[in-house]
Amino acid sequence: MIRLLLALVLAASAATATGASAQSLLDWTEEEVRSIGRHGPWPPPPVRDPSNRISGTPAGILLGEHLFNEPRLSGDGKMSCATCHQAGRDWSDGLAKAQGTVELDRRTPSLWNVGYSHWFGWDGAGDSLWAQSIRPLLDAREMNGGAPRVGALLRDDRAFACGYEKAFGAAPGRDDELLLVNAAKALAAFQATFVSPRTPFDDFRDALLAGDRDAAARYPLSAQRGLRLFIGDASCNACHFGPRFTNGEFGDVGIPFFVRPGEVDSGRLGGLTRLAESPFNLLGKFNDDTTGENARRTRHVRRLHTNFGEFRVPGLRQVGRGGPYMHNGSFATLEDVVKHYSEVNPDRLHSDGVPLVRPLALSTDQSADLVAFLRSLDADVPPRPAVPPLCP
Amino acid sequence: MRRLLIALMTLVMATPALADCPLDLGRGTGWVVFSDHYMIAFRPDPVRVEVGEPFALILNVCTKGGDPAELVAVEAQMPEHKHTMNYKPTIVASPDGRYRAEGLVFHMPGRWEISFDVRAGEESERLSHDIILK
Ligand SMILES: [Cu+2]
Repeated sequence: MIRLLLALVLAASAATATGASAQSLLDWTEEEVRSIGRHGPWPPPPVRDPSNRISGTPAGILLGEHLFNEPRLSGDGKMSCATCHQAGRDWSDGLAKAQGTVELDRRTPSLWNVGYSHWFGWDGAGDSLWAQSIRPLLDAREMNGGAPRVGALLRDDRAFACGYEKAFGAAPGRDDELLLVNAAKALAAFQATFVSPRTPFDDFRDALLAGDRDAAARYPLSAQRGLRLFIGDASCNACHFGPRFTNGEFGDVGIPFFVRPGEVDSGRLGGLTRLAESPFNLLGKFNDDTTGENARRTRHVRRLHTNFGEFRVPGLRQVGRGGPYMHNGSFATLEDVVKHYSEVNPDRLHSDGVPLVRPLALSTDQSADLVAFLRSLDADVPPRPAVPPLCP
Repeated sequence: MRRLLIALMTLVMATPALADCPLDLGRGTGWVVFSDHYMIAFRPDPVRVEVGEPFALILNVCTKGGDPAELVAVEAQMPEHKHTMNYKPTIVASPDGRYRAEGLVFHMPGRWEISFDVRAGEESERLSHDIILK
């Protein structure tokens, strides 16, 4: 009798335990666990870009950090990369549209995890991080610097000349174009170190894959429901795929493409033209990878009429800390973005194909769940240490 | 399974040209597609296709009658999403008779339909094969 009682008590407490855990962990299918697994592990291994021979080198990264904060690279001596890509603002500026010498048509993209991309800029006109870093240096609407200015700084400033020699193994020469490219390679080496920290989602994902139900159950239920939508009915993961939550390609999600009456931003279509015309693309002489392996995308990318009005799919890590949203900063909050996908007018879409973007018609609760999930991709960032001198 | 085996054996017995058209492309992985006239054996390189990562296909293309067959084009699309790849593959014939289609990228998870345009003399045909990427 006592035995029976004991057994009953044990059974009861076991039931309570599973009951509690069932309450805070959704019943994930094998298929869903597999999908969730594809969004990790995090962090990935450090970036090593074969097109950039100083990628991942301490001397290259340090030179890049000094150049990143250097206003003398700009035409009026007032603007640096860090003017728009601010460390304290998740490597963006909090503005709807970027502010150069004039207001631009697109938002300053965050640089979190940028080193893992393969297309750069909202239109993908850059096929390497260093080629992309040249663009704002030269653009008259942005830093308006020019190769001679970059060359002179690296040659004539003692600290930069010394830092350059440490990074590249030779003193800066007379070829300004080469010095411009090498400055951009140092800038790229630095930016590639911007890897966002682990998030509550990563802890959940790892626990779920390891079968640790108790640890997985610490992830809020609303975020779990949002995640289920994200990888399920809403199919967000068709484009926001992988550990960075982007497939690195381009999409048209129904954002108006007129920038002014009579003027459009053609997005990816124009980006492909600029890519082909750039002397700095990976098919050119400045690519340090002699195997040609890393130029495969550039060699095979094709122009499609559907590229008109497409913009790069942004990664979603740290997304809740950023904003405004979309390539043109047209939404102020994450809630606005979710509302857009819930109510998007299919007639707004410019391409005739891809029925991927369609009004999701989310309920208030579902929208809140999706936002809760997106916010679980955010992590606090430790303060950055002081920048050590180039040549102490 | 047994059905497949029988089908394969019938196929092997009915096609004298198979000796010149090995279906095994090494590494023990790959697919075979065939029509009344053509057979294609192919495998990806690298063997595991990842979403968003460039890969190549290594192919053997044969007619069942033993005539040489040519691979004219390789294309892929997602039928549910109505889009192609964002990349255009190039085809290179290697001296051993195999083809290598370079520069494919499947940029989304889901069903991809690969199509192969093959030709022997005046006859041409399109064969296709589905791959589900997860
Ligand atoms: Cu698709």
